[in-house]
Amino acid sequence: MRGLAVGLVVAVALSVGTAWAQAAYYAGKSIEVIVPFAPGGAADVGARFLSPFLEKHVAGRPSVTVRNIPGGGSMLGASFFAANAKPDGLTLMCTTSSTIFPWMFGHPAARYDLARMRVVMTLPFGPVVYVSPRTGVQRPADLLRPAVPLVYGGIAATGSDLPILIALELLGLPVKVVLGFEGRGPIRIAFERGETNLDFQFTPVYLTQVVPLVRDRKAIPLFTGGFPNERGELVTRDPVVADLPSVFEVYQLLHRTKPAGPRWRAYEAAANLTFTYGLSCWAPEGTPSAALQALYEAAERMNADPEFKERGKSVTGGYPVSRGDQVERLIQRAMRPTLEVKKYIIDLLEHKYGVRGLRL
Amino acid sequence: MWDAALHALGVFADPHRLWVLLVGVLAGFVVGMIPGLGGVVAVSVLLPIIFRFDAPTALAALTGALAVVYTSDTITSVLVGTPGSPASGPTAIEGHALARRGQAARALSAAFLSSAVGGMLGVIGLTLAIPVARPLVMLLGSPELFMFTVLGLAYSGSLLGASPIKGLLSGLLGLLLGLVGPSPAAAQFRYTFDHPYLLDGISLEVLALGIFGIAEITSLLARGGAIAREAPLGAGWLEGVRDVLRHRWLLLRGSLIGVWAGVLPAIGATAAAWMSYGHAVATTPDRSRFGKGEIRGVIAPESANNAATAGDLIPTLLFSVPGGPAAAVILGALYAYGIYPGPRLVEQHLDLVYVIVWSFALANVLGAILAFGTSPLVARLTHIRFALVAPPLLVTMVLSAYQTTRHSGDLLALFALGILGWLMKAAGWPRAPLLVGFVLARPMERYFWLTVELHGWRWLTYPGVLAIAALMVGPTLWSLLRDRREASSRRAKGKPEGSVPGALLAILAAVLFGYGLWEARTYEWQARLLPMVASAPGLILALVQAPLALRGEVTGSELEAPPGRELVQLLVIGAYLGGCWLVGYFWASLLYLLAFLRYAARLQPAAALSYTLAGLAVLWGIIRAFGLAWPSGAVLR
Repeated sequence: MRGLAVGLVVAVALSVGTAWAQAAYYAGKSIEVIVPFAPGGAADVGARFLSPFLEKHVAGRPSVTVRNIPGGGSMLGASFFAANAKPDGLTLMCTTSSTIFPWMFGHPAARYDLARMRVVMTLPFGPVVYVSPRTGVQRPADLLRPAVPLVYGGIAATGSDLPILIALELLGLPVKVVLGFEGRGPIRIAFERGETNLDFQFTPVYLTQVVPLVRDRKAIPLFTGGFPNERGELVTRDPVVADLPSVFEVYQLLHRTKPAGPRWRAYEAAANLTFTYGLSCWAPEGTPSAALQALYEAAERMNADPEFKERGKSVTGGYPVSRGDQVERLIQRAMRPTLEVKKYIIDLLEHKYGVRGLRL
Repeated sequence: MWDAALHALGVFADPHRLWVLLVGVLAGFVVGMIPGLGGVVAVSVLLPIIFRFDAPTALAALTGALAVVYTSDTITSVLVGTPGSPASGPTAIEGHALARRGQAARALSAAFLSSAVGGMLGVIGLTLAIPVARPLVMLLGSPELFMFTVLGLAYSGSLLGASPIKGLLSGLLGLLLGLVGPSPAAAQFRYTFDHPYLLDGISLEVLALGIFGIAEITSLLARGGAIAREAPLGAGWLEGVRDVLRHRWLLLRGSLIGVWAGVLPAIGATAAAWMSYGHAVATTPDRSRFGKGEIRGVIAPESANNAATAGDLIPTLLFSVPGGPAAAVILGALYAYGIYPGPRLVEQHLDLVYVIVWSFALANVLGAILAFGTSPLVARLTHIRFALVAPPLLVTMVLSAYQTTRHSGDLLALFALGILGWLMKAAGWPRAPLLVGFVLARPMERYFWLTVELHGWRWLTYPGVLAIAALMVGPTLWSLLRDRREASSRRAKGKPEGSVPGALLAILAAVLFGYGLWEARTYEWQARLLPMVASAPGLILALVQAPLALRGEVTGSELEAPPGRELVQLLVIGAYLGGCWLVGYFWASLLYLLAFLRYAARLQPAAALSYTLAGLAVLWGIIRAFGLAWPSGAVLR
């Protein structure tokens, strides 16, 4: 009994002690979050959604400001971050796979090294793929035999369309891919007009814009990108749209076997970087562990905050944030797939979509 | 519907909200006045503060800021001939020409009134559009959107000016510059020289600042004296109001062009202003005064750019598809409140829609009042020696240009485009077609390839496509016929003479087009077509134009001082920009202001010093208030 009491006192003292130490780190300081895109995009919305909760939950209550540095398809802002951010935890960068892919494939303008940065926090962007009823496709099983040719509208092969393009290859679907749209909003309008008939949207947009179409029988939801298990394998269902199967399940349904090989691992890597860790926030290498700890713990507290859950439902689909220390290894692994997997992706991009200048 | 409208008006019964709206309006007003800063900055500067408010209050602030940007940008355009934002480019031509004739007050009052009325008509359009816009936008696919961009180009045909060759060259040059960056249809970057700065293309703000701003400041400085050459400021305010009343139908048509351009996702306020200006030129019986201060050329674009801002909100609110970059920021703010605009917004948040409508209307009134209130003071600037007005203006422009990417490339691009603008001015090339070509190049290319990929060639027979084609053929034929009749009378003016800048510019254009063609040969077919469409005729025309310019032609040069003197001013500006890059913005500005005020403006040392320090203090205030970045200097860092 006495032992327990002493233990409790020690535990309380320790936790107060660590809390105090962290409060000392960010107390009276301010964090600048660099978003390498123009205001209004997905990364900007995500970062601005997170920032008041960071102010609330990072011990020491620092003030948080978002700074947009657009240009070069996010490479200018990321290069600026790499060149200018001091490793003091006061400058972070929140970005998307648009920053990661060019770096992975050796783009000369990607003057930053993500392998040497620290992951602070991530937030998923979940995709939902849906189809027009005019294709005759009622359920995933019909996908291999549509009544009319499937037409998919996308923005660019190297952006957030990449995992879906790989998924279409993986599943072996007969799809005509038309790239060059300005954004995912105009693609949705083109779908509604019947110019395309296969599309995906991220969960918050799906829930608010596509579900009404589903109710009016103008769209049929098919599958999601899937969600990772603790080893980063995309084998479980997306918790936000749990009634829909994942790419993993649809593959088994169509091909009667589990997906494997470089195509599947290419999909996993691209989908994890684009969807699972859709918004990733980074700190420079050498950031003190007191700062990183304070940010990791803020992630934990945000997930427990009912206001965060409530607001998150409509902004991000309601996914919890992940602590950087829990996902860092998985992200680093997804960013450095095996040579075989990289070759597969480069081959697909070069031969099917005419992308040049990719490096292993 | 009316209940919701009245209920939303009740939102403003709360003095706190009204106050926040006013803050938004003030922010938008100041940002609009600063050359080169437009709608995106106006709403972005508010983002850090608005998330402390509830959604209606935040929307009031954002809408208020957006609504007045295109009212106050007029002030800079008229007074110094530098567009306050790219969308008031036409006003920088016509309004500024009026100001030089001492009619600044008339131009300003006509512009403010047109802006306010355009904004009001735009917001009425927005209100009426809510029930019908959805079926309407559903009618517009890639083929129709492509045709609208071509229509925009065709309407700007009337901007070609006295020499069609130069006008065409200018437009083609604009197209080529607009194609720098990623190709929408093929995974390829064009004309980027593998430099990250060019990967997203040239920014419209820097282009407008360079082509008009730098060129104008150069000329005004070289000429010396005040901006207004004739007549004291005088009244003129009422005359501007009378002008607007006299041209009320033009005002209405300009506003309609604006709303429509706003609704179309590909075309924004800048294209709207130029199309409306083109329309004004095409419908004015005596076109000789355009370029020299024609009030119709102020009324039409000013009504259009404000109306386009309201039009931008239609796709934003009904489809969650931003009508323009500033609307994208508002959309992002709505997302952050968990509000996803779309068909259901009207059912679920109709009150919010009306908060936006009322904010827009109130802001337009407030903006006009502010504009009328401040401009008598500002108009006096036109009578002060320009050598005193120019340095702070230039320093502010550089700061604005640097906001687009915060990369030293902004400084270089500003100077390079400034030289191009100045050469065009010296050689009498119209600069309007360049801007139009630039803003329409990318949407035109994007929708052309989407059309071909999605519709094959069937689209050529779609009724919508044919209808737009008919809209295009009629006015174009009419304007060609009229050109023939007028050509002889217009060409006769002036004495033909050889022009060195003209020949230089033609050679420069030939080199650019030649390079454009040469580089394009390696591109995929989808990335190559439009560069070839722009470069091949451009190269031929430039090669025709070069000997013409050298042998002697009526250049129509807009320079007001000997070219040598202008060139010196241009080099001084270049030196200052180089200084910003080398030693950073503050040291360069300090040195430039001091040296210029002391030796060029010939102020007493004490006066020069205090003016410099006061100017820097105001700049510092702007930087802090709007959270701007400045060049930190390659060497000192």
